[in-house]
Amino acid sequence: MLKCKINGQDVEVAEGSSIIEAFKATGQDIAHYCWHPGLSVAGVCRLCMVEIEGNPRLQIACNTQVQEGMVINNNSDKIKDAVKWGLDFHLINHPLDCPICAQAGECQLQIQYMKFGQYDPEMAERKVKKRKVVDLGPKIVLDTERCILCSRCVRFTDEVSKTNELGIFNRGDHSEIGTVDDRPLDNPYSVNTVDICPVGALTSREFRFQQRVWYLKNETTVCNGCSTGCSTKVYFNEEGMWRVKPDHNDDVNGYWMCDEGRGTPRFVNKDSRLLSAWNGQKDEGQDLEAGAAAKAVGQTLKKVVAEQGSDKVAFVVTGQYTDQENRAFLSLAKDLGVKVYHWVNNPEKMDEFDGLLIRGDKNPNTYGLKEAMKEVGVGSPWSELESSVSDLEYVVVAGPENHFAYSDLTDKVDLFSKANHQVWFVAGDHDVLRAASNKVSLIPTKTYVEKDGTYKNFEGREQRIRRVMTLVPGALSLTEASKLMSGQELLVDGNVSESYRKTNFFSSNERGYL
Amino acid sequence: MFQLSPAGIDFVKTELNRYETKRSAILPCLYKVQEENGGWVSPEAVNHLADVMDIPAAHINEVLYFYTMYNKKPVGRLHVQVCATISCAMNGARELAKHICDKYQVKEGEISDDGMVTVTKVECLGSCGTAPMMQIGNAYYENLTKESAIEVIEDLKKKSTNQ
Amino acid sequence: MEVKILSEHYHKDDFQGLTGYKANGGYEMLKKAFTMKPQEIIDLVKAAGLRGRGGAGFPTGVKWGFLPDNGEPRYLLCNADEGEPGTFKDREMMERAPHQLVEGMIISAFAIGSKKSYIYIRGEYDDSINSCRQAIKEAYDAGLLGKNIMGSGFDHDMDVYCGAGAYICGEETGMISSLEGKKGQPKLKPPFPAVQGYLGKPTIVNNVETLASVIYILRDGVDAYRKYGTEKSPGTKLFSVSGNVVKPGNYEVPLGYPLKDLIFDLCGGLKPGRKLKAVIPGGSSAPILTAEEAMVATLDYENLAQHGSMLGSGAVMVIDDSNCMVDLLGVTLHFYHHESCGQCTPCREGTGWLDKIVHSILDGKGRLQDIDLMDEVAGHMMGRTICALSDAAAMPTLSFLKKFRDEFEFYVREGRSKVKGQAHAQM
Repeated sequence: MLKCKINGQDVEVAEGSSIIEAFKATGQDIAHYCWHPGLSVAGVCRLCMVEIEGNPRLQIACNTQVQEGMVINNNSDKIKDAVKWGLDFHLINHPLDCPICAQAGECQLQIQYMKFGQYDPEMAERKVKKRKVVDLGPKIVLDTERCILCSRCVRFTDEVSKTNELGIFNRGDHSEIGTVDDRPLDNPYSVNTVDICPVGALTSREFRFQQRVWYLKNETTVCNGCSTGCSTKVYFNEEGMWRVKPDHNDDVNGYWMCDEGRGTPRFVNKDSRLLSAWNGQKDEGQDLEAGAAAKAVGQTLKKVVAEQGSDKVAFVVTGQYTDQENRAFLSLAKDLGVKVYHWVNNPEKMDEFDGLLIRGDKNPNTYGLKEAMKEVGVGSPWSELESSVSDLEYVVVAGPENHFAYSDLTDKVDLFSKANHQVWFVAGDHDVLRAASNKVSLIPTKTYVEKDGTYKNFEGREQRIRRVMTLVPGALSLTEASKLMSGQELLVDGNVSESYRKTNFFSSNERGYL
Repeated sequence: MFQLSPAGIDFVKTELNRYETKRSAILPCLYKVQEENGGWVSPEAVNHLADVMDIPAAHINEVLYFYTMYNKKPVGRLHVQVCATISCAMNGARELAKHICDKYQVKEGEISDDGMVTVTKVECLGSCGTAPMMQIGNAYYENLTKESAIEVIEDLKKKSTNQ
Repeated sequence: MEVKILSEHYHKDDFQGLTGYKANGGYEMLKKAFTMKPQEIIDLVKAAGLRGRGGAGFPTGVKWGFLPDNGEPRYLLCNADEGEPGTFKDREMMERAPHQLVEGMIISAFAIGSKKSYIYIRGEYDDSINSCRQAIKEAYDAGLLGKNIMGSGFDHDMDVYCGAGAYICGEETGMISSLEGKKGQPKLKPPFPAVQGYLGKPTIVNNVETLASVIYILRDGVDAYRKYGTEKSPGTKLFSVSGNVVKPGNYEVPLGYPLKDLIFDLCGGLKPGRKLKAVIPGGSSAPILTAEEAMVATLDYENLAQHGSMLGSGAVMVIDDSNCMVDLLGVTLHFYHHESCGQCTPCREGTGWLDKIVHSILDGKGRLQDIDLMDEVAGHMMGRTICALSDAAAMPTLSFLKKFRDEFEFYVREGRSKVKGQAHAQM
């Protein structure tokens, strides 16, 4: 460890740390655009200037290593002047089109300007004209005038995704980022470039112009798109979830996530969801309240098991639920004495891995499910279910939340249609379920942003997900459903925990939704 | 579609093995492409070169757009580059460039109607002691006057047409 | 008086070829070098006080001493990307005496223990490229390059690499980037090239003239080398003189030579009826000297530093009273705007901004605050970037504005040039 002094504060950092890392480690403020902890040092924005005692020249914090006893500051007048001018150089050719820019509100130019700028511009010359609204494929739109050429995106495609699509072409103030021939920037990780773009140059086609970011709340959670379990931040308002970004987690995903994982709003938001329970057959049926439906299913199952035997009922589980839910559901199966089958959605791809983050197992908690099945002592081979399904009275399915990862959904509905009844706990509303040929009960479940619990990722790392919003008020977690089915009542805790009060804006005036 | 000649492909292959890193071959290979593509490097030529060299097109494009000796758009058969930096500027280079433009009725950077002449003002060519000067192709023409410059160009035009 | 050491045989036509070069003592010093220990050569160069002739004037022997002893392959790069406006000395040497460079490089490579070297020549210098390639070929054929050179057991390979038109490749790390097949953008320092240069390996980058000088330090010895020049600027140097003098060209004089004598004796002075107005003594990035300063300045690193300027690459640009200083600053800033690599924000944006302001003034649209604004912009470009291009644009700006402020104020007030009588837009 090395000792140094930053703005008068004694700090200890690991050997080899750069000054900017020391600033970050102590939570001290330092302006920067090009430096990013997950990328190589470019040292080009020249904003992270610091004064080091004994050195007459200002140094950049990102490319200067801390040495024992260094006395560093970034709050002298000399530094403030340097940063103000550094910012001004960034702004002279920037279009300043904040009112129509999707980045407004989270733009680093705006943030730094409020801290270091607040002056009248002196630039009286014509700004450099560059290309705007450049189509970089299905995910990304580029505005080269807004770009401040920090090169983060280029370093990302060179160093992290290793796809090399981006470059900075031309030189001087005519430099422009882009792809050759405007080819699409469309790799499995491309939207990370939007996240790390400090300005509105790279914007996500999906998110741009949808919401002003200052109207969105965010909360950290874990992505349920695959077994990697990346830490993410979800951005939401009362209408639903608008986007997902990676949250820094050195143990799992570093600073990145895949583009696919950003698609969770597709199955979380209300318009794709099952809003209430439903009983019926071949599209004919009636809506029910979810809790009552679960209770009724529980009573029926007990009755069937008592009268016809436990081999008339089977439970089907998926790796989509939390450890707590798995335990409750599997325990119920155990109590009833029925068999449990693990539905593996894409067995041939389960062990695939792209070397960065994306895994073939598109379930967040296969590891936890297998562990729970072992502990509870349930689990029978899938082939057994396939051969015996037509003898079954009831198939009870803890179905997928992310149905996009379950391309075999229709096949399975067909398979379960051979039983007399199929009961689905499921988050999404699917026509194929309602159209099944046997009797169907659908009970809405909560998605990963509406419940608390833990997932265990591919290597068994336990990670907490948390309730950040409620989109379908009646939906149940599998734990709640299991309780109701076993005849217990749900205890409604009227006291919202303090953490929700602080982070969830519904808690102030819309308590009923929680 | 632009394609390198067999000799061009051989050149690229040799260059790829000539330096400590494959990427070093980009600069010489772009010269080759420019030579075979009639004096400039088109976007499709970049893509072709990327395929032949097995190097990301963006890396090649970055190099192409960084260096001024690669032409990013077509030029006339005689690319007249008049140095207009300090010593040349003091010795009438800008007037000379204007004179040549007027003579061939062409705007700076554009191609004359007969496809023969493009005139550009360029930065220091390291011929400051013999200002004003111009470069046409690989050759330097120094200590120019308006008259001698036109003479040189006319001479080259003749040679170029005869070929 | 000229003292011709490097340029002694320039006038001989056959000096370009190996036979002619050898007839005049060529490659004798290489033979001598192989009788020495590499460290002895480094010590000799250190003792001679040879300073880099490319612009920065850094002591060559000290630079060589920075190489780490870690067993990694070392590279020697010759900086022949002569791009500083006003400079054309390396070109003449490469065209007239390419073997002098090749021999200097082999000796230097032997001294620093490098098995591979490149001569990075700017792409526009076609004649230099050809003559260097020819010289290397001849050297290989004569066993002066390749395996076991002259039976010494020392192996060395040499190649020419052509630039493609970018001033910034004359900056040593920009050159390394370019040689690696990338944009010629300078690299962050630290690490310095001597530690991690070309492909991350220890690399020494020296100017053409510097490398050639090594031969003559070996030939004449430290005392004879130090006989010329000053205590801190020993030896002779090639100066490229251009602009408004009667006999422009390259002149080799001892360092410390009076600038006045160079202009008025060697170069034949100004054209009849013209008065000296200013001199840029070390390439376009060197701060300008007024006529009065030029008359007393001497051509060495210290004296020019005392005058607030620098020796740079030794490009002396002589400006007579027919020139409008606003116009010349415009030309200079256009150059730096055009050549900024675009990496560091203060330089990328600052060079463009300055260029636009000075051209607004030249268009007759200047505002009085523009002069102070340029001053401030330039001031904030100094010392803020990876390489010195930003400073190179700022320094002439600051010095032009300081020393010829009246011309700028006149231009802004009247909307026309004080010297030319009308605005450049109308010319």
